[in-house]
Amino acid sequence: MIVVWKDLLVERRSKETLNALFFFGLLLLFIFQFALGPDRERLAGTLPGLLWLGFILSGLLGLGRTFVVERENDCWEGLLLAPGDKSAIYVGKLAGNLLLMLVIETILLVLFAFFFNLDIAGVLPGLAVVIALGTVALAAVGTLFAAMTAQVRARELLFPVLLLPVEAPVLLATVKATEAVLLGEPLGSVAHWLKLLAAADVVYVAVGVLTFDFVLEA
Amino acid sequence: MRRLFGGVTLVGLLTGLVMGFGIAPREATQGNVQRIMYLHVPSVWVAYLAFGVVLVASIAYLVRRAESADRLAHASAEVGVLFTGLTIATGSIWGKPTWGTWWTWDARLTSVSILFVMYLGYLLLRGMIDDRERGARFAAVLGIVAAFNIPLVHFSVYWWRTLHQPPSLMKPGPGTMPGIIVAALLANFAAFTLLYVYFVTRRARLLRLEAEAEA
Amino acid sequence: MPDNWGFVLAAYGLAAVVLIAYWRFLSRREKELEDATAIRHDLRQGSSSHPRSEPASERPSL
Repeated sequence: MIVVWKDLLVERRSKETLNALFFFGLLLLFIFQFALGPDRERLAGTLPGLLWLGFILSGLLGLGRTFVVERENDCWEGLLLAPGDKSAIYVGKLAGNLLLMLVIETILLVLFAFFFNLDIAGVLPGLAVVIALGTVALAAVGTLFAAMTAQVRARELLFPVLLLPVEAPVLLATVKATEAVLLGEPLGSVAHWLKLLAAADVVYVAVGVLTFDFVLEA
Repeated sequence: MRRLFGGVTLVGLLTGLVMGFGIAPREATQGNVQRIMYLHVPSVWVAYLAFGVVLVASIAYLVRRAESADRLAHASAEVGVLFTGLTIATGSIWGKPTWGTWWTWDARLTSVSILFVMYLGYLLLRGMIDDRERGARFAAVLGIVAAFNIPLVHFSVYWWRTLHQPPSLMKPGPGTMPGIIVAALLANFAAFTLLYVYFVTRRARLLRLEAEAEA
Repeated sequence: MPDNWGFVLAAYGLAAVVLIAYWRFLSRREKELEDATAIRHDLRQGSSSHPRSEPASERPSL
């Protein structure tokens, strides 16, 4: 809990991560529009994919910075030598990352709806479920991998290289589910995808909690 | 001892070759191109075997901190990536005459490609951490995450390719295959498994020698 | 259906090349390391069991 509060306070004081990610999201939107051209039909078909592409790219930036404060301010040893269960640190960081990602995703979603003229009001609950399930999966592995790559050289390269293949199934599931939801279909029609996401969430968080001690060993 | 095992492996491989070409008949629908299956399917099997061993060795290392477990994981991951790459390559070569295209996002090729990149990342991680002990620990964690991800990859890709999209591409693999083809396939399975064991033991020994040389 | 032996050859050829190359990598590295270890053992034995090394010794002193 303390870790979450600490991270939140750091974020609110500096706000740089949130602002930077917001602008990054905006830029992505422009680039999607430019890359896909004025063809509305083609754009509409790719929207679920683009949305999650935006989420994941922002996530890579945001999650990759999970431990940057500790690393830059030489507090890394403090983390390693902290007594007690290191998994508490994991949960704290995970909660913080979840919050950060959900905020960014909400902003991105609103921007998407605005720029691409989506009517998401009706499908919001279903969309929220899909986004929540997917985000937990992203944040759970992202937090773990961020800790592992924090002290490695070329960490900015290694982090995405490790995270993206692992998240491929999650990406498949979320895009397919989002596609269905945006078309107005009920959540039941994509129950299998949701179950897969839920299973992924459980597995990833469990592995994260169980292995974090080994990652933060002194 | 090792030489004997190497010899046995070689005999196994040759047997597999003979069965694949000499004894197994020309397949009815695909023609002789189907013989590539005797390479492709055993490769995929070995890859899964290898990554399963990585999982077990990774857990063993975290629990017991035995260097030998770490070396086994490393060696098995390397051989696994080797055979995964081979699976993709042979699958692609099979695909060109069969489906007319070098690449297709069918269930098997897609999931195997994801596996390939995952474990390539594993090897990359190992290469980038200089501290031997930390490298072993992190690789073990990654090995566990990657292994648990395999079923997720499987299901997601399979559903992606089959739901709302009837498989229009021929799905390679067993099913109603004549016995002689199954026999040839099994022979190659065995041969490739022997090759896997041979490669992993030699690679693990190499890692031990390298560690001793640095000491 | 045409036989496409070319593709079959390509696949088997590729597999052979890759597997043999890996085998050679293993053999070569192993030989290098074994030679290096042997030299080190020799050197260690040379200095510990023969305190007065033979003058004709060409081995570099540690």
